[in-house]
Parts: sequence; C-alpha cells; structure tokens
Amino acid sequence: MTNLAQLFFDAASLGGLYAMAALGIALIFGVMNLVNFAHGEYIAFCVFALIVPSTDAVAVMFLGRAPALVLIPVVLALGGLIAVASEYAVFRHLRRADPVAMMIASFALGFVIRNALLAAYGGRPKAISLWPGLNTPVNIAGASVPLLQLIVIVTTLLVVTGLALLLKKTRIGLEMRAAAENFTMARLLGVRANRVITGAFALSGALAAAVALIMATQTGVADVKMGGQIMLVAFIATVLGGLGSLPGAVAAGFLVGIVSVVLQAWLPLDARPFRDAFLYTLVIICLLLRPQGLFVPASAKPRV
Amino acid sequence: MSKLGVFDVSVRYGKVPAVNDLTLHVEEGERVFVSGPNGAGKSSLLKAISGAVATSHGRIEMDGDLLTGLPPEAIARLGLSMVPEGREIFGSLTVEENLRVGTGLRRDAIAVEEDIAEIYDSFPILGERRGAAAGALSGGQQQMLAIGRALMTNPKLIMVDEPSLGLAPKIVDQVYDTLCALQEERGLTLLIVEQSSLRAARVGGRMVLMRGGRIVGEGNAADMADRDALAAAYFGKPSQQTEATT
Repeated sequence: MTNLAQLFFDAASLGGLYAMAALGIALIFGVMNLVNFAHGEYIAFCVFALIVPSTDAVAVMFLGRAPALVLIPVVLALGGLIAVASEYAVFRHLRRADPVAMMIASFALGFVIRNALLAAYGGRPKAISLWPGLNTPVNIAGASVPLLQLIVIVTTLLVVTGLALLLKKTRIGLEMRAAAENFTMARLLGVRANRVITGAFALSGALAAAVALIMATQTGVADVKMGGQIMLVAFIATVLGGLGSLPGAVAAGFLVGIVSVVLQAWLPLDARPFRDAFLYTLVIICLLLRPQGLFVPASAKPRV
Repeated sequence: MSKLGVFDVSVRYGKVPAVNDLTLHVEEGERVFVSGPNGAGKSSLLKAISGAVATSHGRIEMDGDLLTGLPPEAIARLGLSMVPEGREIFGSLTVEENLRVGTGLRRDAIAVEEDIAEIYDSFPILGERRGAAAGALSGGQQQMLAIGRALMTNPKLIMVDEPSLGLAPKIVDQVYDTLCALQEERGLTLLIVEQSSLRAARVGGRMVLMRGGRIVGEGNAADMADRDALAAAYFGKPSQQTEATT
C-alpha cells in the first residue's frame, strides 16, 4: 500500500512536469505547425536566469534570491519574453516556410541559446539551491512525499485548469483554438495571425519557465543540457497525444510520466538502466497502432 | 457600398498558372456567379480576392481600398467575408463558438448578440445545437453554419465557394433561398462559385464563365445557361473541336 501511494505521487508529479512541457510544445505546433525544439533551451535559460552569470563552479543566486512572490512572476515573464523574442527574431520570417525549415530553424535557435548560456555560465553543471525547504518529505497515506511533489501536482492541475479556462472563456483563447484547427480560415474571419501567434509563444514560454522552476528546485542543478532531455520526452508526449491537441498533450505527458515511474519500480533490477529503452519501445508500439496519436477527438474529422 | 474591382490579376502555384490576367467588376448589391469546369481557376480567384493566396500580378480593390498584398485578416476587416469550399467549419469548436470567431473585429457587442440571435432565428437547428461540437453537424447544417459564420464579421461582400458541393438538391435550394434572403435584407453583395450553370440560372443574377484561368463568357445567368458559350467553356470552342476530330 505504502509502495502504491509512493508510486502514485512519483508518477503524478513526473507526469505533471512532462504534461506542462508537452503543452508548451503543443500550443505552438497548434497555431503554426512548428515543432519548436528550442523549447528545452527556454527551460535552461529560465533556470540560469536564477543565478549570476559567471563561469565559476559555485553558483551565486541572482534572481533566485528574490522572494517567491517576486521570483515566480518574473521568471514566468522572462520565459514568455524569450519565447516571444525568438518568434519575432526567427519564426516570424519563416511563416510561409515549410514546417521542416521551421523545425531546423528551431534547432539552430536552440544552439544559439545553448551556446550563449555556455559562454555566460560555463559548461559545468552548477549546484543551486532554490527553495531547499521544499524537498523535505511529508508523510501522506504512509508514503513519504517531498513537499515539492505535492506542489508540482497542484501546480500542474492549476496550470492545466487555468489554460483550459483561458482557452474556453477568453477571446484570445477562442482565436487560438480556431487558429489551431484551421489557421487560414481563422484569418479569413479577421483573426489576427500575429496576435494569436505571439500569444501562443508567450504562453509556451511561461510554461517553460514553470517547468524550469520545478526542475531547478527538484534537481538542485543548473545544467545547460537540462532542457534537452525533458524536451525529448515532451516532444514524444505531444506526438503520442496527437500533435497540436492540447488535451492530448496533457494526457500523454501524464501517461509517459506514469509509465516511466512504473517501469522504474517494477522492472527487474538488471533491466532498470534500460528503462528508457522500454519506454520508447512502448511509444513506438503506440505510434504503430495509432499513428494519428492516442487522444485525437473524433469530432476533428472533416465531414462532407 | 461594396464595389469590387479585379484588374489583370494572375495567380500561380509555383509555375502552374491558375488565374491569367483576369479582370472582373462586381457592383454594389450585385449577385455574380462564377462558373466553369474543374480547374478553371474559380476557387483560386476567390482565394486571391480574400488574401488566402498571393497574386503574382494585377491588383484588387474594394470600395477604393487596395486589397492586393493585405493579409486575409485585414481584408476581412474591410468587410469581405468568405464561405470557403468544403465549408471549413471549426469541427472541435461548438456551433456558437464558430459564430463568435469572426466577431473579434467588431466593436458593437450588442449588435453581435443580436446577429447571433438572428442567425438562430434563420437557422433554428443551429440554435438548438449551439453548444454541440460543430463537427457533429450534418453537411447541410455545416453549410448553414459556414454562412452564418461569414455573416458574423458584418461584411459588405460575401464570397461563397461551391455552396452546393456534396449537398442534396433540396438542401441546396434551402442554402440559396437563405443566401438570397440575406442579400435582400442586408444589401449584401454576393460572389458565388457555382459549377452548375442551371442552378445559377434558376437563382438568377449575372454569370461569369471561366476556363483556363480566364473569363470566356459573361451575361445574365438565365440566358447563359443554355447558350453556346457554356459548351465552349466546358468543351472548348466548336471550331477547335472540329479541328481536333479531323
């Protein structure tokens, strides 16, 4: 029982993290058919924004010293800002380009951000301590759960609910959903492409910042490469969920998180180092069986 | 006021020409049908006017505003609305959300609500299913929704691409009745792509025949329906045909 409760909290918090990262990717894919591989670098950028730029091994907190009430909005805004800036500097000029060209441009942008971070902070991972108190375990249902895990789960629920409300209840949300389904048609009805795309990038960047804050607290490390791994998982989740489908991205993010935690717990000891190989095998099987994604709504099909 | 002027417009997809130096004028309140065989460039012409595809040559004006080079959203804001081929409703949005997508350019919130109520009046089935996913509507209902949605931008001119596509003749009658009633009521200008010249003749209006990206005939739809021009547009000029067979 203890074991199960522990497993549940692990799975839910990891899944929540993946879901938020996947949402960031799906949002942008939805409105402009771009798989933004720089998303992982947005995450790394936000983590490094917490510390003073220097190549020293010891990290000195910069933004990280601010109280949470200041820090969280500022980091979210920074994430939104870098995403919007990259749209303005790079992707805006590629609107009419082939999706593959845009994807390659996103790789290039990712390299630029990563190398800028390397230049400013050096290549060695740095220990940072952001809100270390949050890693103290709390006992719930017999499981010992770090407070942060609970916060991640609650945050994910809040973010997903907030995003759902934004998309459902606001004008920009309606325009984003319409644009995600049929961008040209939305524009023919007067929906401003720039407004919708800027909005999507801002939201996506803010989601990257949320992921960054959680990862920084959880791992206690600032590493230039930290965005790459989660970007990969998040990308897989968006594909699994049906590219561009936001509920799909959330569901698949959780699914990937749950499966990797379960594999970690139940695989024989010898096989555990190869957990990701098992995970990706399952992903391949899913895509072979349902190449359109697991959670594509039936109503999205065109009708004659 | 909605006078549309298309001057020497060409549209190309890569090297393939779809519309060739076409000139067309539509007067305010007029109903113009564009007819012709598949691949004549009818849809491309509409897309060029709405800004969905770029023109390679020529200019398009409406009420003195230059449309050429403007993005589709700016053209919509000038009062031009489109019901595209295949309707292209937003299937995952509800019926009402579909109607509201096009209201972002309006500042008259009260009139928007009145317009929605009016559309539900004209199409009761849309009102009944306002909360349902639009993708679950039948083809005819989707066509009504697409027309209602186009109206919500409060346009002066509506372009409709193949309203009869994939619909039963009875439904097509309804669609045209609605379009004509709306035109009467609101003083709209209509530019309609209609493959069936018989249908165009029955509804009435001016008809323009396209072939190979050009206009090859023009006149009153009722007169045009049974004239040689039609045969010429669809099968080539009679003289060419004799040449081909001899």
